[in-house]
Amino acid sequence: MDQLYLLATLADTRIAVETGEVEAVVRLTDISPVPGMGAHVAGLSALRSRVLTIIDVAALIHGRATPAARRGLAIIANISGHSYGLMVDGVSDICRVPEGELPLRGQLDPAWAPYARALVEHDGHPWLLVSLAAFIEGGALAQAA
Amino acid sequence: MDELLQEFISETQETLEALAGEVVAWEADPSDRDRLDAIFRFFHTVKGSCGFLNLPRFERLSHAAEDVLSEIRAGKRGADPATVSAVLGIMDRIGELTEAVAIGAALPSENDDFLIGALSISSADVAEPAVQAVAASVAVARQGGVQSGPRTIRLPLSLIDQLMNGVSDMVLARNELSRKLRERSADPELDNVFERLSTCVADMRDVISKTRMQRVDRLFAAIPRMVRDLGRDLGKRIDLTLEGGDVEMDREMVEMVVDPLTHIVRNSIDHGIETPEKRRAAGKPDAGRLRLEARQSGNQIVIAIADDGAGIDTARLVDKAIAAGRLTPEAAKRLSEEDRLDLIFQAGLSTANQVTAISGRGVGMDVVRANVERIGGVIALDNHPGQGLCITLRVPLTLTIIPGLIVRAGGQHFAIPRSAVVEILHDNNETLYISEVGGAKIATIRAIRHSMVDLEDVLGMEKPVQQGPRAIMVVRSATGVPFAMGVSAVDNHEELVIRPASPLVMATGVYAGMTLPDNGKPMLLLDAAGLANAARLPNIIDDRAARQQGQEADAQAGVEMVAALRFEELSGERRLLKLSLIERVEDIDAGLFGRSGGRAFVRLDERLVPVANGLSQFDRAKVSALRLRDDRREACYPVAAVLDIVQMPAVPDMVAMHGMLSGVAVVDGEHLEVINPFALFAGLPEEALVERARGRCVLADSGDGWTREILAPLLRQAGHEVVLGLPGDCAVDPDDVVLCTEADAAQAAEIMGCRVVHLRASPRPTGPQDGSIYRYDQDALMAAIAGRRA
Repeated sequence: MDQLYLLATLADTRIAVETGEVEAVVRLTDISPVPGMGAHVAGLSALRSRVLTIIDVAALIHGRATPAARRGLAIIANISGHSYGLMVDGVSDICRVPEGELPLRGQLDPAWAPYARALVEHDGHPWLLVSLAAFIEGGALAQAA
Repeated sequence: MDELLQEFISETQETLEALAGEVVAWEADPSDRDRLDAIFRFFHTVKGSCGFLNLPRFERLSHAAEDVLSEIRAGKRGADPATVSAVLGIMDRIGELTEAVAIGAALPSENDDFLIGALSISSADVAEPAVQAVAASVAVARQGGVQSGPRTIRLPLSLIDQLMNGVSDMVLARNELSRKLRERSADPELDNVFERLSTCVADMRDVISKTRMQRVDRLFAAIPRMVRDLGRDLGKRIDLTLEGGDVEMDREMVEMVVDPLTHIVRNSIDHGIETPEKRRAAGKPDAGRLRLEARQSGNQIVIAIADDGAGIDTARLVDKAIAAGRLTPEAAKRLSEEDRLDLIFQAGLSTANQVTAISGRGVGMDVVRANVERIGGVIALDNHPGQGLCITLRVPLTLTIIPGLIVRAGGQHFAIPRSAVVEILHDNNETLYISEVGGAKIATIRAIRHSMVDLEDVLGMEKPVQQGPRAIMVVRSATGVPFAMGVSAVDNHEELVIRPASPLVMATGVYAGMTLPDNGKPMLLLDAAGLANAARLPNIIDDRAARQQGQEADAQAGVEMVAALRFEELSGERRLLKLSLIERVEDIDAGLFGRSGGRAFVRLDERLVPVANGLSQFDRAKVSALRLRDDRREACYPVAAVLDIVQMPAVPDMVAMHGMLSGVAVVDGEHLEVINPFALFAGLPEEALVERARGRCVLADSGDGWTREILAPLLRQAGHEVVLGLPGDCAVDPDDVVLCTEADAAQAAEIMGCRVVHLRASPRPTGPQDGSIYRYDQDALMAAIAGRRA
């Protein structure tokens, strides 16, 4: 019950991320594209002396790249020794949820299936609990290969 | 030497520390083979190192211990407790001696013979006091311990990484500060302080970078001595070549590569290179060639060890494998040549007939491969039985600084290791010819055909329209054939700190890593081999052109070559003229050429220069002309076009002297006539065309305004010397030309014996007898002056 969750919106979907996975949330500035990559890799961006690989998560799910004008925030995470930034539409809150993780209910869009782990309830809405590492390891790398 | 010694000391101490645990375990279970091997290797290393460091006591001790352990390994002797203690005693003594060497103290003078003697006596009673004696002296040695010499400490690499990241952050912060400062009004005091901070940061970055980097030289440092010693011991002569010592490599990586490299070199000398007698019999030079080469290639360091020895006898390898029961004869038959070669990496197989002092004691290629692979490297063999063996080690270069070129393509910047770039040309270069067939682009550079790709196409980027030429780089990857790559431009050359890119980015296969330049915009490092793969370029070497070139070079090597200018005559022939005769080439107004006394000349800088090929009429306004000069005379040689500079044989291929030609030379398959410079200068008029010959223009009607203000300046501009008014005395020269409008003046001049150009004011002649020229008919006037003078 003490688990903190970062609540965000991503590809018009409410998501929750365990804060343990999150290093920071930053506003994206310059992104240098990586030619030769699919749409899900938006490019590289420097955060101080670190170089982040920016993942366009919406593109990973819908297959459509987010237009540059709508690129706003990114969740910074360190996944297997490399720094990534995962683009999200917006971040609303960091909070505890009293009920904790709830099992998935309903017919989940197959596009979300590889990443969603459970549901969390907040403000009377269900939020999809996703794992950031799954986006990288399950999704992006599989598409890249 | 100090450096080597220091290295030896720290290495020995480190191994001793690591072994301490093993020894205890070995003592408990003397039959434990792995531990025995580890201890054996330690003595072996110490023996090897101290041989050339001139530490005889170390050598004697380790040699004795090694012998005993070798016997135990061979099963000739049991590892009884007395022996174990004696071996331990020797290990301790080595530790103690190392300590003494490190602090520069006198070596403790206990009698080593005592310890060595203990090895051969399997009696606990004798061994015991020896160990005690050692323990005592260790204490003594440690008491002496004020360190001298360069003090070193070992740091975990993660700490250095952290430091490095910190410094990188600092550099970026400084850059931002510098931008902010520039935006504000200049304050010299603030600038000064900032400047100082900048220098400090830069220094610090350099130093931090150095902590990780080491030149490959250090890896090579011990090789020459080792090769010499081994060669002497084995009675072989070896020519050693070391190349690429300035390549920088991660310090950690150097440490990891030393052992495999040493081992390969030993093998090569012991088993590869034959004795001088055998080499002579095989028709090779007495001295074997051994070549070590390090180079950086993308994200890898490639170390190649090549010898021209016997190579690996794969048949014998197979026999050995069968004899050792690793392989059935049936399976052996199915093996490809590559698989057979691969057997060399099997533990315990060696082609050596007998175990020698240098190699073959059981630490084999299997260990080498394991060590290389542990650091993410690859080992490859290129075996030519009877002719030599080339072993290539490829080890990754994780965090290193490499010289790189910054290129622009599709509006974005990329880095590429400079070592991968053979040459850079602009696509309007004349030696480059790009053709297209079936969608494939082929760049022909000096008769060598390269596959050609545009970086934008490989990466799937838009190719923006650009003004000016694109840059074509000839790129060579570690594995493949060089290819040509087109980019928008090559912008810069920088030292780049390469960091690994995320696996996502690496999965594309075309990037080797990334770098963060000072502007804070991440940049990708291109991988040459990956690009060739991604573009699916054929990997076949076009060695025909290279071979042909080689042959041509050989053929021409015998003939003395001179540089010559290839040009096209106005009559259309292509000819050659020795370049050293040509002072310069320039475009000359056709109007400056003229004829005089049947000879052509050209007026250059107030002098008349003879025209070597006698031409004075041209169909163009400007004529390219070669300005020639022997030791005292000069000449001008008008040509249709200057083509290029080529190498021609000093003696023409076919000598045929006639006229101005000395023969015919074949250059690039084209037959070209060669101008004979001797005939050329011999054909020039003997007397120089001097100023006198030009004569003067004497303007008879000097009082007339038109003559003074209009005619005189015109003639002066045309280069004539002008005299106003008939000279009172009879100083009129027969060469002078008199210009006049009055008929009586003309008569007077004629009496004096000079030529007269009679000018008239009306456009039309007064009658058929009228030889005068209309005064505004410039062409006729000039022709008359020049013609009259002839």
